[in-house]
Amino acid sequence: MKRVPLQWILAAGLFILALAAPVLLKDQQYWLFIATQAYFWAMLASSWALLAGYAGQFSFGHIAFMAIASYASGILGRDLGWSPVSGVVAGTLVAGVVGLVIGYLCLRLRRTYLALFTIAFAEIFRLVVNAEIDLTGGPLGLYMDYLLDTTSYIPYYYLMLGLLLASLAFMYWLASSRFGLFFRSIREDEVAAAAMGVHIVRYKILAFVVTSMIAGLAGAVDHHFIGFIAPSELIIGRMSLVIAMAVIGGIESLIGAALGAIFIHFSLEWLQQIPVPASMMPKLIAMQPMLEKIGLGVGERGIMTYAWRMVAFGLLLMLTLRFWRNGLIHPIIDRLFRQRVRKETVAKRVQAAEVASPTTFGGTEGR
Amino acid sequence: MEITGQYLMNLVLNGLLIGSIYALMALGLTLIFSVLGIVSFAHGEHYMIGGYVVYFLLETFTNLHPLLAILAAGLVTFLIGVLFERLFLQPMARGEIERPGEYAILVTFGLAFFLQYLVQGIVGPHSKRADRFFDLPSVDLGWLTSTAGTLKVGGIPFSASRLAAAAIAVILLLAMIYFIKRTWVGKGLQAVSQDRNAAAVVGINPLNMNTLAFGLGTMLAGMSGATLVDVFAWVPWIGVPASSKAFVIIVLGGMGSMPGALLGGLIIGVVESLGSGLLPDPGKALAYKDAFGLLIFALVLLVKPTGLFGRKL
Repeated sequence: MKRVPLQWILAAGLFILALAAPVLLKDQQYWLFIATQAYFWAMLASSWALLAGYAGQFSFGHIAFMAIASYASGILGRDLGWSPVSGVVAGTLVAGVVGLVIGYLCLRLRRTYLALFTIAFAEIFRLVVNAEIDLTGGPLGLYMDYLLDTTSYIPYYYLMLGLLLASLAFMYWLASSRFGLFFRSIREDEVAAAAMGVHIVRYKILAFVVTSMIAGLAGAVDHHFIGFIAPSELIIGRMSLVIAMAVIGGIESLIGAALGAIFIHFSLEWLQQIPVPASMMPKLIAMQPMLEKIGLGVGERGIMTYAWRMVAFGLLLMLTLRFWRNGLIHPIIDRLFRQRVRKETVAKRVQAAEVASPTTFGGTEGR
Repeated sequence: MEITGQYLMNLVLNGLLIGSIYALMALGLTLIFSVLGIVSFAHGEHYMIGGYVVYFLLETFTNLHPLLAILAAGLVTFLIGVLFERLFLQPMARGEIERPGEYAILVTFGLAFFLQYLVQGIVGPHSKRADRFFDLPSVDLGWLTSTAGTLKVGGIPFSASRLAAAAIAVILLLAMIYFIKRTWVGKGLQAVSQDRNAAAVVGINPLNMNTLAFGLGTMLAGMSGATLVDVFAWVPWIGVPASSKAFVIIVLGGMGSMPGALLGGLIIGVVESLGSGLLPDPGKALAYKDAFGLLIFALVLLVKPTGLFGRKL
């Protein structure tokens, strides 16, 4: 009998854990809610990884696409009475169309210029949402109908998990098909790819459309679950979080980015209030004035960390970029599943060539 | 609302005032780009830190002269820039990083994220605002009147804080241009930005010039924030709109071009001022103030990515 490899047991274990979570977290609805949100972030981070890590389009507009679908769906529901389901479908399509337009506009722009353009796009979108109070509710936000006729979190949990797995499966299919190869060739060297007959225009736009639609789908469904969306969700810090998730998970790995998102989302929730044993609480309360001076606080069960938890992830993001370019989670998966194939990537060879003739650094970057 | 010539003049002049500070900030970013070949996405965060340094120095040492506090802010942001460049950007120049272009975008973005929350952790999310740095003498000459906080020339009011900020910005701009154009080290920076290898051949260490350029760039951002902390209410995320303005300006002026940064800064200042002053609905006008620059930005990127004075791509 053939032995079942360890890695498949691990993967199956994770999957069963995800399926069984509603039972395990029966009395902890809050954590079930957090898990649902984690899957939402995982969809954002993995689709961003496809756009940036595979196709090389370092877009900072991903959160904006997410919100475009949510707002479209919310507004259609409020003003035209569309049901949440048709709203989600329409919202996803709208995100895809905007992705098409942005992808088309970005065709000439590379790297830094693309990053700058997409930041500008995201900021303009945020400002418009803030200003057009009649349409979007402005800073006060927009209330959205609930997608399902239930107050339980469990159906939403399975829905989000299902969407995450389906979008991951779809993106893996895309990445392993010819499209994925073309995406990668565009990232490595656009000119060479074009010279080899890759239809750059088509595949760049395709990458934008597909990833915007996944972000939009995640956003629309999630906000029909929460029942509310506000422009405070569009701040650049949320985009940074998506990037941190993808980079720490592994920017060139869809599953790595998704697991990174889940890990970071749970960590952030847990770090919000670091629990301390009840016996330590009086001591902690005595230290409260000192803790408040350094931006910490004392909650009911432990230390409130406020902004400091984000500082930790900001630092981790920078260190990951500097020292572990493949992320922290992807190498583990890689080790378990592939046993060091693909070690010599094209990037490494390009780098070797660049070290041999170090003239390319400087003026040519950032076009 | 009737639009008179005086009102237009008011908008243009006040736009030029704020534009000179935008220009100072953009000069820093363009200096970094021309020498290191990267855009720092953390530029706004240095601006934010510069403001906080001045605020806390003036709060702690009430007798301290504001100009000294601004210099101190410049020093602090210079050191932050140097430290970051040595730790995170220099490996790029030494060829230790795969895909340096992508790395530069992400790591400076990471720095922005880190600094924003670091400062928020230290100072808290509530807004701070320094007292006015300088009071004007009370004068009444008929065509020119002034009180402590405002100067009126021919009926056009200027805020004393903004006037002072613009004056400091102009002095710093001139000093910086003198430094780059006339001193030996400044010429070294120019040489590296033109041709790294040729500069190295004549004895300029490109790595040191990278560090210097990045430090000076962040210093300029820090000092522009430092001059404005008595104008705006300061919050940890105030750098986000400021940096997007700097991006707009360097793209409009042409990446890496000094005259482009100066002219671009003034143009954006005036456009914003006119745009928000002339929109009929004042509530929306204020909300859209930052959008005008970004709209120009998107148009320039799409129509003429090299900007006004840019090098050929």
